[in-house]
Amino acid sequence: MPCLTCPAGSTWDPRTFAEALREWSASSRDTYYLLVSALGPHPYPTIVRDFQAVIGREARRQILAAEGRLPDELVACVGGGSNAIGLFFAFLKDRSVRMTGIEAGGLGIAGGRHAARFQGGAPGVLHGTYTFLLQDASGQVRPTHSVAAGLDYPAVGPEHAWLRDRGRVRYGFATDRQAREAFHLLCRTEGILPALESAHALAYVIERAPKMRKKEILLMNLSGRGDKDLEAWPA
Amino acid sequence: MTLAEALARARPSKRSGFVAFLTAGDPDLRATARYVSALRSEGADIVELGIPFSDPVADGPVIQAAAERALKKGTRLLDVLAALRRLRAAGERVPVILFSYLNPALRLGAERFAREAAAAGAQGALLVDLPAESAGPWRRALARAGVELVLLASPTTSDERLRLIGDGSGSIVYYVSREGVTGARRGLPPGLAERLARVRRLTGKPLIVGFGVCGADQARRLAPFAAGVVVGSALVRAAAGKSAAAGERALRRLAKDIVRGLSEC
Repeated sequence: MPCLTCPAGSTWDPRTFAEALREWSASSRDTYYLLVSALGPHPYPTIVRDFQAVIGREARRQILAAEGRLPDELVACVGGGSNAIGLFFAFLKDRSVRMTGIEAGGLGIAGGRHAARFQGGAPGVLHGTYTFLLQDASGQVRPTHSVAAGLDYPAVGPEHAWLRDRGRVRYGFATDRQAREAFHLLCRTEGILPALESAHALAYVIERAPKMRKKEILLMNLSGRGDKDLEAWPA
Repeated sequence: MTLAEALARARPSKRSGFVAFLTAGDPDLRATARYVSALRSEGADIVELGIPFSDPVADGPVIQAAAERALKKGTRLLDVLAALRRLRAAGERVPVILFSYLNPALRLGAERFAREAAAAGAQGALLVDLPAESAGPWRRALARAGVELVLLASPTTSDERLRLIGDGSGSIVYYVSREGVTGARRGLPPGLAERLARVRRLTGKPLIVGFGVCGADQARRLAPFAAGVVVGSALVRAAAGKSAAAGERALRRLAKDIVRGLSEC
């Protein structure tokens, strides 16, 4: 099996995806293409979704067992969006369940240094996927920024673009700073070390929960652990 | 004149047409214009103008690097079309295929892309990552403007899709002779002649064959099986990092070699 080396510290660098596609285009007869997110040419986004959908199936069963009813809102972070589509998929037909995906707001939307495709992106094609894409006026793909490597990619999973168009899921964003604050808060209050990716969803929870009624249920996908992020953490 | 007719005109002086690829804007668009005319005068029957793109997944290192250089100079799709329009105004008549990734064209939309391409004087458009299944609106918009869509087929394309690609293409189909990305390679893949015959039969169109041709020897061996032989990375590498004058000399030298290969029996 050929091994491609990722550019330092950035598994989500678009160049890594491009190298994988180049390798695969020469070896597709005897090689499978496995991607870390719900991206890539059809049918890869749906394959990844179907595997990730176990998250939502289990979450739905567990919340029904614990609370006897469906949650009022779901929230998950969205890079390519595999953990989010995995959570949302089992609930799509439950019309009473609101859904929110949180993208990486980086250093803020205004300055352009972010990875929030639904803020300032436009439909486009990258790496075989037609979806919302951060690009300039001439269709060149824009560089992105996020403190969370797993959210730092210029295109969003295509099913999210569709769910947004249909009005089924709302998409917001959290900045690097908000994600770091959420990370600290969870460490201090619960002793849980969240991934910086998941901390973006948590930042939304921190803002959203106080505005909900006490009986309402907000279900968040804490999609990863943050041990991996400690090395990059400024003291 | 269709692209197929442009290739047919290559005979009898050559056994197959010579399709020369350049990355537009490397080192700059003035040099590109100069290179187009030089290649035509050396015997190129069609020139493909590569539109630089930030994420060229179908290209190997040589064309990737050329695209990066061109993008650093600010070369964008509309700039290339403006340069082509100036070249036409100066009297250059060689048929041109615009070779672009889908996204820059998508940004303009099929209708405007077709209109602008036609106004600039392009005869064909090849959108590398446009699947035949989604090509309908592009083919129709381009046809209305008088520009041919050129679709790609490869060794892994099924018979069913070869028929679709034949139906969706203008007068020619581009056959990628190897799996993988662009880049010059030695030798020809085994079984190529049989595969080309099958692709020709199923698409019902003459083929231009590319990806990997680097000199006279391969051109000579490929010529009997293809309406046109595409040379890309080898030309781009020959001119890379050179001034326009030196780049032109290098391109002429390589083009002479390829035409010699295409002309020998």
